Amino acid sequence: MVLSEMRRRKVLFVGLLGGLLIAVALALNIGWIVVNWRTGLWLLAGIISFAVLIAGLVLNTAFLIREIRTTEQHNAFIHAVTHELKTPLASIRLYLQTLHQRDVDPARRKEFLETMLADSARLQSTIDQVLLAGKTGAATRVVNPTDIDLAEVVGECVTVAGRRHHLIDGEVEVIDRLPEGEDAVVMGDREELQAAVTNLIDNAIKYSGERVRVAVELVKFGARGVAINVRDQGMGITRDELKRIFRRFYRIPGALSARVRGTGLGLSIVRAVARRHGGRAYAESEGAGKGSRFTLELPRKPL
Amino acid sequence: MTRLLVVEDEEHIANGLKFNLEAEGYSVDTEETGEAALLRLTNEPNTIDLVLLDVMLPGLDGFEVVRRLRLAGSFVPVVMLTARGETDDVLRGFELGADDYLPKPFDLSILLARIQGILRRKMWLENSATVDLPELLDQYRFCGRQIDFSKQMMERAGIEQPLTLTETTLLRHLISREGQVVRREVLLEEVWGVRQDTDTRTVDNFISRLRRAIEDEPSNPRHLLTVRGVGYRFVAKPGDAS
Repeated sequence: MVLSEMRRRKVLFVGLLGGLLIAVALALNIGWIVVNWRTGLWLLAGIISFAVLIAGLVLNTAFLIREIRTTEQHNAFIHAVTHELKTPLASIRLYLQTLHQRDVDPARRKEFLETMLADSARLQSTIDQVLLAGKTGAATRVVNPTDIDLAEVVGECVTVAGRRHHLIDGEVEVIDRLPEGEDAVVMGDREELQAAVTNLIDNAIKYSGERVRVAVELVKFGARGVAINVRDQGMGITRDELKRIFRRFYRIPGALSARVRGTGLGLSIVRAVARRHGGRAYAESEGAGKGSRFTLELPRKPL
Repeated sequence: MTRLLVVEDEEHIANGLKFNLEAEGYSVDTEETGEAALLRLTNEPNTIDLVLLDVMLPGLDGFEVVRRLRLAGSFVPVVMLTARGETDDVLRGFELGADDYLPKPFDLSILLARIQGILRRKMWLENSATVDLPELLDQYRFCGRQIDFSKQMMERAGIEQPLTLTETTLLRHLISREGQVVRREVLLEEVWGVRQDTDTRTVDNFISRLRRAIEDEPSNPRHLLTVRGVGYRFVAKPGDAS
């Protein structure tokens, strides 16, 4: 809250300063034209140098404002990652010390161990996410691709997500809409594809609120493509946010997103993975409160 | 029975804390959000003896909870717990009225010791006929001001102003050694019960809060004097002390 207020002030200041300087340069330019309007060469030289000056100022201001935004997002990311790393660690440490210092009855002991396992899984997934973001950040192609059946990947991811979020049957549904006799084999990196699909499913669950209704569809697209659609009936996305959410570190502002854990890396990984596999990722939504649909399109393995 | 309120949205940590605190003999309630905690503390004042407050809560964060709590006139001791352990955050927590601050991941025995320390201080203030500082009465007057230690109140020109537990304890320590220089480290140990892991700037921060409360001109103090590089000295009647 305080952070965004400070940022707004900084951006406002830089914007005003830039605007003021541009106005001064413009006024000087007009003055120059008025004073030198009869001397052809001087007039031309003046107009050109003022144009360069003004263009420089505009660029500089735009650049500064962008930098401020990036830095703020980066700070928010550091905070989020710090929280995501320290919280499960704090929990594990608390339970370890408890078991170390106190007599705990066997039932409780088992419960504590389960808690610690869940926390270490959470820690692991944050670490994986950060490492994967570093790896996929370079927009090159996947090295040493292998044959991967997306239907299998989707099935696994849904099972794992269901277990992690303690879902009951039917909350996440897998629908295979591929035509008879067609498979969903792509060439790629299994770990990356799993991470991308998991991120989409996790997001759909996390942003669903209390009532989870998620459908994961496998569909054919074009002549040689396969797409994974992840639909939810959650909080939805406004038109402005549809593109931004794929940016690295970007998180939807607002109260509900504060209740959702995350680092702002998930969707940027999805997009990077899609590109590295020669595909693309995008989001659609009817608007806030109306659910959303994420699509990951990938080219199938050439025949 | 001493009753604690744990305000923590991370279920695992809340349960772990509850288990340990109950094992220590405290009765423990938990809340998941800042809003719920505020409502509880303002609707049922004086039922909770100490609050363990997480900073990163959904909605109202811990800083805001402490600020609103103090604004609403509740001076229940608050220990803040957070993954954000940078000095600025710690100072901000103190500035807003927290009594103590522990970074996550914390050490269980340190946490328990801090809680015990604060509760002891609270008892000490409530039963002012203590062994520690027998010469000091429950109330203390100087230069038209009156401090009521057990009520954690200061009165000046008919206006009553509440003080936090830590402010009151710090003031009491300084007043009991009127005219003498008290070192920052000594204050840290006696008031906060900590040795090495808290910055001595914590003390400075509380002194400036106290100055705002008791001095006419906080920037030009006459009662709470800084002794450069050493610590602080309380002077009841300026002019007497050289």
